Amino acid sequence: MDIGFTSEQEELRAVLRAFLDDHADRRGLLDSDTCHDAKLWRRMATEIGVQGLAVPEEYGGAGFGAAEMCVVFEELGRALAGAPMLATAGLAAAALLACGDEDAKAEFLPGIADGSTIATLALVEAEGAWETDAVHTRARRSDGGHVIDGAKYFVLDGVLADLVLVTVRTEEGTALFAVSGDAAGLVRRAHEAVDPTRGMARLDFASVPARLLSSDPSVVETALDQARIALAAEQAGGAQWCLETAVAYAKTRHQFGRPIGSFQAVKHRCADMMVAVEAARSAAYLAALTAHDNADELAIAATSAQICCSRAYTEVAAGTIQIHGGIGFTWEHDAHLYYKRAKTDELLFGSPDWHRDRLARLTGIAPPKTIEGGVSA
Amino acid sequence: MPDDEEFRESLRAFLKEHAPGRAPKGAAERLAFAKAWAATKYDHGFAGPAWPREAGGMGLPFEQQVIYQVEMARYRLPAMPGTGWEMVGPTIIKYGTPEQKEKYLRATLRADIVWAQGFSEPEAGSDLPGLRTTARRDGDHYVVNGQKVWNTNAEKADMLFVLVRTGTQEARQKGISYLLIDAHAPGVTVRPIRDITGGEHFCEIFFDEVRVPVSQRVGEENDGWRIARTTLGHERSAGALNQAAFYRRIVDELIALARERGAVADTGVRRRLADFDVRVRVMNAHAARTIASIVATGEPGPTSSVSRLYNSVFEQELHEFAVELLGPFGLLGRGDPDTVQRGRWTGGWLATRASTIGAGTAEIQRNTIAEQLLGLPRDPAMPPRP
Ligand SMILES: Cc1cc2nc3c(=O)[nH]c(=O)nc-3n(C[C@H](O)[C@H](O)[C@H](O)COP(=O)(O)OP(=O)(O)OC[C@H]3O[C@@H](n4cnc5c(N)ncnc54)[C@H](O)[C@@H]3O)c2cc1C
Repeated sequence: MDIGFTSEQEELRAVLRAFLDDHADRRGLLDSDTCHDAKLWRRMATEIGVQGLAVPEEYGGAGFGAAEMCVVFEELGRALAGAPMLATAGLAAAALLACGDEDAKAEFLPGIADGSTIATLALVEAEGAWETDAVHTRARRSDGGHVIDGAKYFVLDGVLADLVLVTVRTEEGTALFAVSGDAAGLVRRAHEAVDPTRGMARLDFASVPARLLSSDPSVVETALDQARIALAAEQAGGAQWCLETAVAYAKTRHQFGRPIGSFQAVKHRCADMMVAVEAARSAAYLAALTAHDNADELAIAATSAQICCSRAYTEVAAGTIQIHGGIGFTWEHDAHLYYKRAKTDELLFGSPDWHRDRLARLTGIAPPKTIEGGVSA
Repeated sequence: MPDDEEFRESLRAFLKEHAPGRAPKGAAERLAFAKAWAATKYDHGFAGPAWPREAGGMGLPFEQQVIYQVEMARYRLPAMPGTGWEMVGPTIIKYGTPEQKEKYLRATLRADIVWAQGFSEPEAGSDLPGLRTTARRDGDHYVVNGQKVWNTNAEKADMLFVLVRTGTQEARQKGISYLLIDAHAPGVTVRPIRDITGGEHFCEIFFDEVRVPVSQRVGEENDGWRIARTTLGHERSAGALNQAAFYRRIVDELIALARERGAVADTGVRRRLADFDVRVRVMNAHAARTIASIVATGEPGPTSSVSRLYNSVFEQELHEFAVELLGPFGLLGRGDPDTVQRGRWTGGWLATRASTIGAGTAEIQRNTIAEQLLGLPRDPAMPPRP
């Protein structure tokens, strides 16, 4: 197992970091409904080609792999950049690549690769479950095609998306449909989210024309697990920002005639934060950079990374507020943005305990029959 | 130099033919067993992967050291007897006189000489530069007086490597020398100390007018502190994957225990087990990152500095949980006929308290991480970092 980055990948990191330092403005997202910085998104596409990095060349992308995406998400998470990458590349492109529909790939992926299409995936409904079989949205045949009815919640960048992939219950089970963002009968309402840097929406579908992409629920599972791995990299990047910011403050802030970082209570908290950050990086890199030969391995990797990174990020983000004292509690300081991102990331794509239960099933910690409710992985 | 695959094959062939079976019972038999295995390795040219050839070692490049460690870990092999051979060896290799090298290096690798480490003292633990055991010069000898403590396996040792004060107390680490002392020399008394497990694994050592030839000093007088932490390249990091594999086994055994006892029906238990499972995955990734970093840049990177703290806290929490899992059987000690798995979990629960004390306490490690890696300022009340 080799989980280092090549020098080209490190170079990509340096370029992206400098680019985001110059152009990403997390404070600018606070007054926006969509948390989207359209100018940044365009520059990402034209100057670096971020959106197309992992899209295969035949669909207009650069054909790079998981390692490059790991770098990208780590840097986006570090900057809290207003860019719908997690929805577009993490979820939707992953689902398109996993589905067998060649026409759909040829139609949608080039737009994703050049940054002209923002896409997302709508899964969760009123019960708040991340399981693909907990779906009530329905499809009906109509005029030789399909229309769908239902409501989806917590849809990442749902107001913004040009293309919405929707999980739908059909006779055969859970299927994936594609809906245009401006389709008739689709009503989109931005959620007022706790995290003011991440756009989310409720989508209501009333007889919305939809195109069937796949009837195989594993397509959505795969996409979700890939998005979890992307999220883990974002979390590691955000946690790293928190650590660096807290340490920098601890070196300069003086009380009792000395830097607060010379007090062991502060120093030891910083050391523990570093231990957590390194664990998050290891977990995120392990998930992103090792091969997963089957769906179970992918699921174990994604879920393990979520368990580790969620805990690390919230711990480190809380420590950052504490080390800043009063100023850490202000709206003015960025610490709360990371704290909110950290806590809400824990709940995105499944809560920590949901992931622990899933890992217990997947690794056979408990034989399925001993688990009450008997949900199998 | 054989290529990696040839090397792996030759090592596998050696292990297949020579790996010893189960360790015998009884302390003396175990010591003899461990010594015999060290001698077998040495005699076949499979001892000291990181040590240079002229020191009797294998002089392997880092990548092959990793292969060596991984292959060795596939067998249950006795550890090298004594403690600190991997500390004193590199120090002699780098700073020893030709006579010292001749006398000690090969014999150490072959375990013909078993070592114990004599650094800590009753008044000098974390603050080791404050140590007080003195070595007074008398012609071509030092005369050593004082006391060391917590010396692991010292009662089995032939030789001690000891830090002594040759300068003033105020000189702190600048007044310390490094001596190799015969454990059976007149005036040396080694007394085992019973530890919290009830066993005797460490000792105290008294020096009463012990005469040590000056030729037994490694390095210059008063330069002992600087050379005491000598290591060979990244020898330790080469074994990082094994440590992760070792913990993997323990977690799997804990999961098996939880299953046997029906505890996995409990949601809370499953979740805690899942957490431990993730933590060993992280350890494995830490190891892989460290090794990849050494191969790519020659430096182990920040991960290796935090993994010891990560592992020691893990080890303690794992055993605390294991004892809870046992329910009332967690009440039973090692010797009780009804104890679970011969008391290994309660024994481990006690033994792992030392994980955050020995070889630098967790607090000292946090200081080091904060000051050396994060660059936070030192407490102004503390003496400057040695
Ligand atoms: C199982 C075991 C095996 C050992 N084997 C050997 C051996 O073979 N040879 C050998 O020489 N030694 C050995 N030791 C000794 C070990 O290195 C010392 O115990 C250790 O360095 C701590 O020193 P101390 O026990 O004097 O504790 P102290 O240094 O007195 O520490 C007591 C407490 O105070 C804390 N503390 C001290 N200074 C600070 C500070 N600056 N900031 C914050 N907290 C602080 C410590 O973290 C600890 O919690 C062994 C110890 C154990 C437990």
